Amino acid sequence: MKNDIINVALPKGRLGDNVYEMFSKAGYRCPELENPGRKLVFENSEAGIRYFWVKPSDVAIYVEKGAADIGVAGKDILLEYRPDVYELLDVGLGKCRMAVAAPKNFRDDPRKTLRVATKFPNVAKKHYSSFGRDIEIIKLNGSIELAPILGLSDVIVDIVETGATLRQNNLEVYETLFGISARLIANKPSYRFKDEKIKRIQDGLAAVKGAEND
Amino acid sequence: MKTLSQDGLAGRLCSLYERSGYRRYKMSKFEEYDLYARNKDFLVSENVLTFTDLDGRLMALKPDVTLSIVKNTRGEQGLEKVYYHENVYRASGGAPGFREIAQAGLECIGDVDEYCVCEVLSLAAKSLTEISPDCELDISHLGILCELLDSAKLSGGARALAIELMGDKNFGELEELLKTENIPEDIAERLILASRLNCEAKEASKKLKELLGGIVADESLKLFCDTCDFMHEEFPNTVKVDFSAVGDLNYYSGIFFKGYINGVASGVLSGGQYNGLMRKLKKTSRAIGFAIYLDLLEPLFEAEYGFDADVLLVYGEGTPAAKIYGVAKELSQGDKSVCVMKEYPQNMKFREVYRISAGGETVREK
Repeated sequence: MKNDIINVALPKGRLGDNVYEMFSKAGYRCPELENPGRKLVFENSEAGIRYFWVKPSDVAIYVEKGAADIGVAGKDILLEYRPDVYELLDVGLGKCRMAVAAPKNFRDDPRKTLRVATKFPNVAKKHYSSFGRDIEIIKLNGSIELAPILGLSDVIVDIVETGATLRQNNLEVYETLFGISARLIANKPSYRFKDEKIKRIQDGLAAVKGAEND
Repeated sequence: MKTLSQDGLAGRLCSLYERSGYRRYKMSKFEEYDLYARNKDFLVSENVLTFTDLDGRLMALKPDVTLSIVKNTRGEQGLEKVYYHENVYRASGGAPGFREIAQAGLECIGDVDEYCVCEVLSLAAKSLTEISPDCELDISHLGILCELLDSAKLSGGARALAIELMGDKNFGELEELLKTENIPEDIAERLILASRLNCEAKEASKKLKELLGGIVADESLKLFCDTCDFMHEEFPNTVKVDFSAVGDLNYYSGIFFKGYINGVASGVLSGGQYNGLMRKLKKTSRAIGFAIYLDLLEPLFEAEYGFDADVLLVYGEGTPAAKIYGVAKELSQGDKSVCVMKEYPQNMKFREVYRISAGGETVREK
């Protein structure tokens, strides 16, 4: 771990683009990253920063294991995997919610085990165990909405942004569990040994967020 | 910088603890499973490797050392100071499956007073500097934290969530929680400022007294401030006060601390006063201790692992054994490791390579 540069894990996709824009506005622009070609790692040594794109669900792993000093990950991922990292700032991007969704007119019959399809088994288990509901988790990796349509599950626990996909498939939000947004996270030892630089980035991003909210 | 190998480091740590009067505690690899089943929250991972012993008892391969020491130690009168270097068996680092993990540490059990607390904290700081001078020991006080949460009248789920958020340095959500719970502004502000505290030990006393005076009992505040001052005097560049160092309040009370090494991806040392655990195990005495997770230090051993041996000596067909032995002996002078092989081995690296011919002529290869 070199101490002169901060390694940042950015989530691939639209969220990552928006996060990079915030970093850029905070003074951590990296021209290399704006014309990526086939490179995987982008550095601006003057600004003391190095970026790399990773799968959104992997950001927390890169940070927890110290390959990245900081990163931006969704609250959904943090609650599902519970990585041992600091959660320094809600960057205010990628806002959506975690919800239980079900076919329209669904009625939860407590005499039956509830079949729950989800990409987030730990979140689902925690929610239902909080009131003792007996459930069967069906872990899926994508197209969760298909599960209740084909009778694979009674409900789904998934991220809902606008609800359009649910509506198109005759599903609706049955219960909202919590709000989600992207968070700036930090590796615990990095926060100690690169503290000044990380705190400066944190303050810079907070200032950008504040300016955008004004 | 000293060469760092796991065995060498463990030896130096053991010697450090022995010089402070701690006795080695050697234990069996097995313990009755019931002990862990009753104290699952105290364990790093609740998965335990079990087996049925010949007499029908359900046994476990030790996932933790402290529980066994506390269970087996008397420590009701006087003091028991012990250290250990043992392997434990548990799931680790999110990897599927169990691992054998080397752990070293110490426990001070019995009539634990302020001197004992300072001694254990000093040994924790010395252990970290023994591993690397680029280290940090963060200390907090869970008793003070509890008093602060009591003053905010936070209980149950909200209290547990507040502690979790403090541990995550998630001050945004902590603020929201305190608002939702209608905590008076003055108390909420002090709670947030205290949980944000991350400063050198020398500044801690003044800041803590300003922040917590009148809320936390004067005596506990004074004792903690004295400890901070002492640690600053002894280890000015190593110790910080950071209230994000939190542990399970059912087991830990009083001083709690975590140690970090630059270049290692997670905390390598964890410890504190675990009077709660003592009460759960129906012991009237007090206790403090810490553990160092030696498996996490592997990244620091890499430099040493760069070469499999200092010297490789390759001999040809027909070279007399006595000649090979003699050359190997000569090459090993100056404490060098020498590997003697008939052919250059695959997947091994050496600093120097020598070749000895059938006639006994030795040539160093470039």
